[in-house]
Amino acid sequence: MRTLRFAIALVSSLLALSCNNNPYADDDSGERVIYGVFQDAPRRLDPAEAYDVVAHRIIGLVHDKLLEYHYLKRPFTLMPGLALAVPRAEPQPGGGVIYRFQMRRGVGFGEDECFELSGGRGARTRDATTQDIAFQIQRLADPALEVQVRDSFMYIRGFGEFMQALGERRKAEPAFAALPVKQQYEAIGPMSGVRTPSATELELELTGPYPQILYWFALEFTSPIAWEAVQYYDGKQGRALFKDHVPGTGPFRIAEYDKQSKLVFVRNEHWWGKQASDPLSAPGAFYPTEGEPGDAEAGLLDPQYVGRRLPFVDRIEVRRDKESIPGFYKFLQGYYDRSEIIKESFNQVVVNSSVSPDMAARGVRLSTVVSPSWFYLGFNMEDETVGAKAGERSRKLRHAMSLAIDREQWIKTFLNGRGLPAESMIPPGLFGYDPNHKDPNAGLDLPRARKLLAEAGYPDGINPETKKPLHLTFDVYATSTQQQLMNEYFVDAWRKLGIDVELSVTSYNEFQNKVQRLAYQVYFWGWSADYPDPENFLFLRTCAQRRSTNGGPNATNFCDPRFDALFQEMRVRENDAERLAAIQKMLAILEYEQPHVELYHQSEYLLVHAWFHNLKQFGMSNPMGKYYDVEPELRARRRIEWNQPTRWPAYALGLALVLGVIPAFRTFFRERQ
Amino acid sequence: MLAFVLRRFAYGGAVVLGVLGVLFVLFFAIASPDDIARRALGDKARQSAIDTWKANHGYDRPMWPIEDGQFRADSLLFHHYATMLRFEFGDSDYDGVPIAERMRAGAGPSLTLTVPLFVLEVSVSILVALFVAVFRGTYIDRAGLVVSVLMMSLPIVLSIIGAQYLIAKTLAWFPLSGYDRSLELMSRFLALPVLVGVISGLGGEVRFLRTVFVEETSRDYVRTARAKGASEMRVMLYHVLRNSLIPVLTRVVMQIPFLFTGALLLESFFGIPGLGSLLVDSINNNDFATLRVWVFIAAILFVVAQIVTDLSYALVDPRVRLE
Amino acid sequence: METHVLVNLLALAIVAVGVFVGRAIRRDRLWRESLVQVWRRQPIAILVLAAFIAIALLDSIAWIGGKVSGEDVLAQHQARSLIDRTFQGVSELGYSEPRAEVLFEDPLQRLNDPGGHLLGTDILGRDVLHRMLKGARVALLIGGLTSAIAIPLALLLGVSAGYFGGRLDDAVFFVMSTLASIPSLLLLIAIVMALGRGTWQVCFALGITSWVSLCRVSRGETLKLRELDYVQAARALGVSELRIIRRHILPNLLHLIVISFVLLFSGQVIAETILAYLGIGVDGSWGQMIDQARNELSREPIIWWNIAAAGMSVFSLLLAVNFIGDAMRDVLDPRTARERE
Repeated sequence: MRTLRFAIALVSSLLALSCNNNPYADDDSGERVIYGVFQDAPRRLDPAEAYDVVAHRIIGLVHDKLLEYHYLKRPFTLMPGLALAVPRAEPQPGGGVIYRFQMRRGVGFGEDECFELSGGRGARTRDATTQDIAFQIQRLADPALEVQVRDSFMYIRGFGEFMQALGERRKAEPAFAALPVKQQYEAIGPMSGVRTPSATELELELTGPYPQILYWFALEFTSPIAWEAVQYYDGKQGRALFKDHVPGTGPFRIAEYDKQSKLVFVRNEHWWGKQASDPLSAPGAFYPTEGEPGDAEAGLLDPQYVGRRLPFVDRIEVRRDKESIPGFYKFLQGYYDRSEIIKESFNQVVVNSSVSPDMAARGVRLSTVVSPSWFYLGFNMEDETVGAKAGERSRKLRHAMSLAIDREQWIKTFLNGRGLPAESMIPPGLFGYDPNHKDPNAGLDLPRARKLLAEAGYPDGINPETKKPLHLTFDVYATSTQQQLMNEYFVDAWRKLGIDVELSVTSYNEFQNKVQRLAYQVYFWGWSADYPDPENFLFLRTCAQRRSTNGGPNATNFCDPRFDALFQEMRVRENDAERLAAIQKMLAILEYEQPHVELYHQSEYLLVHAWFHNLKQFGMSNPMGKYYDVEPELRARRRIEWNQPTRWPAYALGLALVLGVIPAFRTFFRERQ
Repeated sequence: MLAFVLRRFAYGGAVVLGVLGVLFVLFFAIASPDDIARRALGDKARQSAIDTWKANHGYDRPMWPIEDGQFRADSLLFHHYATMLRFEFGDSDYDGVPIAERMRAGAGPSLTLTVPLFVLEVSVSILVALFVAVFRGTYIDRAGLVVSVLMMSLPIVLSIIGAQYLIAKTLAWFPLSGYDRSLELMSRFLALPVLVGVISGLGGEVRFLRTVFVEETSRDYVRTARAKGASEMRVMLYHVLRNSLIPVLTRVVMQIPFLFTGALLLESFFGIPGLGSLLVDSINNNDFATLRVWVFIAAILFVVAQIVTDLSYALVDPRVRLE
Repeated sequence: METHVLVNLLALAIVAVGVFVGRAIRRDRLWRESLVQVWRRQPIAILVLAAFIAIALLDSIAWIGGKVSGEDVLAQHQARSLIDRTFQGVSELGYSEPRAEVLFEDPLQRLNDPGGHLLGTDILGRDVLHRMLKGARVALLIGGLTSAIAIPLALLLGVSAGYFGGRLDDAVFFVMSTLASIPSLLLLIAIVMALGRGTWQVCFALGITSWVSLCRVSRGETLKLRELDYVQAARALGVSELRIIRRHILPNLLHLIVISFVLLFSGQVIAETILAYLGIGVDGSWGQMIDQARNELSREPIIWWNIAAAGMSVFSLLLAVNFIGDAMRDVLDPRTARERE
């Protein structure tokens, strides 16, 4: 019967064109719902393991952290979230540092059946405590979990020891390894550096100064996790896997999770912000009253929102559109509120750095922000030709190659002008960024590039040994054809110097193989900040992070003891003049040695419809869904207005077919008679 | 007959073992587990995370059964055969979701797309081909052939992009993409992909069927029937269609396994979370575990369809068994 | 060492083979008449295909030297074909519409070659007509190279399996059923992913996945031919096996080979567009052009000339090949010959 009804419905849609192009059920009840889109399916939602943008966009709505970022203020400012205040570092004799967090009361987990494990039948929630955070820190140390940021937590006293003891005990006693993880962690004992004197207190002891640790407490890695959920969601008897089902303490909870096609978030009924009394003691539960200059003009300090209790919307619905074109067209039709310009599809609707007149007439706004990211072309410093071994000669070659690239044009071509040419590794908004600084060895200067190339011993690009153009390889792994174009741009630029750069596109596997064998010369890579501190960029060029010896992210294999000494000094300092001086010295070393060509800091684009309010982009993957609001009535009107079907071509086509066939029938029947 | 059935099944089994061998060579011998791990964990991954990942996914075993002169019962090769033959597909390399569950979840949406597509395409192409065959030699026949070749020469990527731009965006007849489990919405979503699928497959089908029908109409019994004064309608439907059923059915039956595997590009562009879309995802994510299972299941379906066809032939025509 | 010299020689060799085959056909009455019939049926399609082949050959013959205009210093040290020389030194900063005088995104910026780009320029400012013409060589390379791998392989295995039978036949049949059981697009993707990207790899993978059907047909046909009286007679007279295959079997398979070549050819070009969508296509192919251009359709105002140029090229090549294939089948295949009486 279902099949029959389906068949009838399908055939009638095909034939009668009676239905519309609305991708949602027609009864939009006027609820405050945000309709969004995502492209790649999230890998997993476990805050300990998730390390991709898509997953963080989801878990950020569901999990609250001890600390948060202020929504409007820039540079990025930490403010209390689940904590009552941002703690200060308390140096200890012996070099250690203690941070004391006070957590609020009444922090409720979103409704979930796993809480029956602790609360008995019918229990659907419980209050989160600092023990849940301590439990999550133990999970970060669990060697069985694929935690990608573990290195940063090694500063916690007892973290490494816990990890080692847990791994060894599991290997030695299979019976122990079969216990629920909570019991295993309890048997190994708490970490000496993570103490919970009461349900609302958390004492964190580090082995040495590491001021960046606070940023990690504004990320989902350290959000309170219920042990009940870890134990209950084991994938057996129809229960979900924990990595796909993680209840949290955030303003929303996941009501529907079909990651291949649809995600629905609804309000968390037990969110702590519901009982918060005032914006001063609980800034994360109210719309901010102040921002950075320009926010008021941008409509971000609208009196109807300022100081009001969050969240504004009841539901967030996100659909998957793998291909950017259908997703984008749906945005144009009004079926998505926002359109993110994701991955390689920069060449969308933005013309000359603003929305096209047609779009502006529809009330579409463009929101851009330079995100704390940095893209560059790296040289392999251990290579014979472009690397440090060739000394002065290779340095001049690297400078010449850098000076051949017109970054402004690149940004114009591929980013529609909405990117910032990088003058150092450090993006705007971070300490150490200097808007007036210019890297003398970056930006297009062909005459100087040619001169440097000749000084390097390659006049007009000719390699004296082979009497042929200098041949280098630009190693990239197979990417989309759109990205291929970006790579070809660089190759074309170097042609102007007479250098024959071969674009060597290999599979990812081969590329990694080459990296392992150090058989690469030039590559294109980027880095997005985990947290807004220069340390998160500068560490990319330290000896300790070298790809060749240590398997770290420093794929240039640049290594300079002076740079490393300055890095150690800079790392532990507060943001003061001496830190700034150290950073500037480090950047000067990089400018001179040029292990990389500075390209750009990426801008995030977002197109927004007129009915969507309070959007300020963040740049890092912290979703801010609780601050947004929509006007459902305006949206419903516009959708109808913009989507009137044009039916006459169907009728015309049908008529043409019939008319075309009639003569044949006539001859046919005449012959028969 | 029993001996034939048994032999046919044994041969099918051997082919499945052969497919598994090809898969092993392609996915383990050429892409090493280290690379798979690196791909799964992304650019920022550290060696320690890679080792953990390999251990969690069982890729830290030796590859071949004999390594350094020692026999290894826990080798990847054995493990690969043993798990696949027991239909224990394990977890995805990319996000750790059980692959069997993912395949089950994808089969539904795929079938809702491919079954209507298949039924419509078969019936429409038979109708059009019969029509063209009736008017063979006239301008309708020529136009039909030209249009068929036009349709065949259009890569499906272009048809999809064109249809989305023209029909869904400009004319606003159907939603651009999406999927829903409620019948009303589902039919709305599926209308356009079904239309594009039918159009892109129609050319080849009509051309094939037309040849079959025209060949059949030139046979002696058709002339006899006509001479006896049977109407053209009766000749076509009763004689020609019935007698060309065998080549038509063979072609149709061999398409059935592909119903389950879905439509790669249609699903991707139209946002249908089926098996074809899953395949594109696994390719993009280098999810070799899912790819392996996918190819394996497609191969089994194909082998089964082949056995069924062979057996039905054998039932109809005893001479086949002698071969 | 010098790849372009090798490519030149190869192009000349292809021309030589073409001339040789042409003369052989002129001597053989049956083939000559068949081809005349094909020509009568599809003159336009044959002219289109000939034009594509001519462009591809012109693009294959390259030499170093000659004047270079524009900023591209490297070009004077590299081999450039006639096609490249016609379009040299005319790259722009970005998009421009067909025959435009100014940049598409910046109407104040005059082009280096105003009005000179008949089909406009792409995102990198490269002439679209140039890229489109160069794509002809890639498309023919994909179709031709793949057939050059697949057809000999299929014939060797199919004919020897059919003719000699026994263990050899069993083995060939097993390999065939195994490969045929894996959906060919999947096998194709898997091989390309395992071997890595590149023209040779993709052609090799296409070859591996496409020989099976011809192999099956030629095996079946050989089985039948083997039993024919004159073949049996030749065997009884003690004619060597190789000679029988060469004199009696292969000539009778020729129409099958020609038809499957045509089908293979268009199948490969279509398959490449799907590979290009998956990011594992061949550099410079029309499939890649389509994939690069498809996101441009969502711009306002729309950038249509890239996808139109590539799409029309694929379409017209496939159309020509399909029409010729149809005509050839009608003329050469004894089965369809019957319906024409």
